[in-house]
Amino acid sequence: MAEILRSLRLYVLLQRASARGAMQYRLNTVIGILSGAVWQGTGFAFIWVVMHTFPSLAGWGLAEIAFLYGLRLTAHALAMIPMMSVNDIQWVVRDGEFDRFLLRPLNPLVQLMGNRMGIAQFGDLLVGVALLVVAGQNAQVRWSVPLIAYCLVSVVGGALIEAAFFLALCSLALRMIDTFALRVFVDDVFSKFGSYPMKIFGGTVEWLLTFVLPVAFVAYVPSSILLGKLGNAWALAAPLLGVILIALAYLIWRRQLDHYQSVGH
Amino acid sequence: MTRIGFRLALAYRSNIIMTCVTLVAQVFLLRMIWTSVYGSRPSAAGLSLEALLAYLTLANLQSFATHTLVSRIMHHRIRTGMVFFDLARPVGYLRQMAAFQVGNTAGGLLLLAPVIPVVLLVGSITVPVNGFGYVLTFALGYVIAVQLALLISLIGFWTMETGAISLLYRLVSQFFAGTMVPLAFFPGFLGVLAEILPFKYMGYVPAAIYVGHITDISGPVLVELAWVAGLWGLLALTWSRAHRRVVIQGG
Repeated sequence: MAEILRSLRLYVLLQRASARGAMQYRLNTVIGILSGAVWQGTGFAFIWVVMHTFPSLAGWGLAEIAFLYGLRLTAHALAMIPMMSVNDIQWVVRDGEFDRFLLRPLNPLVQLMGNRMGIAQFGDLLVGVALLVVAGQNAQVRWSVPLIAYCLVSVVGGALIEAAFFLALCSLALRMIDTFALRVFVDDVFSKFGSYPMKIFGGTVEWLLTFVLPVAFVAYVPSSILLGKLGNAWALAAPLLGVILIALAYLIWRRQLDHYQSVGH
Repeated sequence: MTRIGFRLALAYRSNIIMTCVTLVAQVFLLRMIWTSVYGSRPSAAGLSLEALLAYLTLANLQSFATHTLVSRIMHHRIRTGMVFFDLARPVGYLRQMAAFQVGNTAGGLLLLAPVIPVVLLVGSITVPVNGFGYVLTFALGYVIAVQLALLISLIGFWTMETGAISLLYRLVSQFFAGTMVPLAFFPGFLGVLAEILPFKYMGYVPAAIYVGHITDISGPVLVELAWVAGLWGLLALTWSRAHRRVVIQGG
């Protein structure tokens, strides 16, 4: 436990340093956040325009879809703000920089995560939280303390699911397997398909998105429960899956780490 | 220059393949969403579901084809001072860059060719109602797209940094081109704005002519020609000012 707390403290210090680094280029940082927000904004503008003509998408109204969209986006931002710099792993490995990480007395994953801060993801967070708050008030939900708590837990659960897939794919870079293209694809599936009611995909694709690449559990299942579209029996499935998957991903990471061979510099 | 652009497209093959995969995913997603919202309605805003799906498939292929790498290249070369070599050549700078973009598009289309059947299968397509009108308006739309990209990139001669501007431009132009929603569905103010902006000629107008939603092509073609001429003048003017401001970084 003391070990984890120490890692956490050092992680915060590292992130603070990279935040300071990012703020050296203040305008670039602001534009980075803005472009993240605009990117997500146009994505939502699409839904808004469509639902202007058609009031219902698979039985979901605009406020409900907005809620789903916001929940997914917030989970995505929470997953990627700390994980973004793990994306650089193949360069870190190729340049031999990873060897330095192994020599320092701190978990190499934590060091990797503290390397650089996800900037555009703060834009995602901004839009996500704004949508969640506005849509949460407009949708027919009787908010109560347990319900808000469940909403927070499920955002974290969704973030863990996404982070788990990201980490597992990234860790393969330790054995020089380039998964960059695959990561882009998985991220694309999570962000494109995760923001809609799974029902519209029907049949095979719905099944694939639920059980193979569990996109459905990031936001669809939790928001269905919060909006009263799905029985409470499923309530804990999403956060629980997040915890299981992140543990599995970490095991994969450890296993790949054991097989790490330096490129030799 | 055209050949360089062409080769560059082929050199970043994995990049293009990823773009193709996301293109297929995008078309599939749009198909599912629109099929779901249409439900049992035969048509909305004057478009049947069948025409709409053909429209969307086409518009997305077009948005791939009108993607302009040239702004990234110009940005990079201005930033690093390599723009000096472009300026030293005896051919006009803008002409070189336009040639590069055309070559790059050709290379991208070549790589896209094997994917087109998949996209058509995932989306859906109908026989063109007005094939000639489609080709004509889309070709002019492509010219407008390249002109706009060059214009945006020229800002770099003043600001040095156009990365963020180009990204914003791409997002906004794609939205107003009607890649995901035909302009016919845009409500009120948004619809007026989309009608005025030139982005619709890269997506909506050609695709709507293809599916027969727009029948009279003389109007759009005239407006397109006016845009091309206007942007031409604006480009010439901007360039005559920009090249006097050239600063070679680290030169």
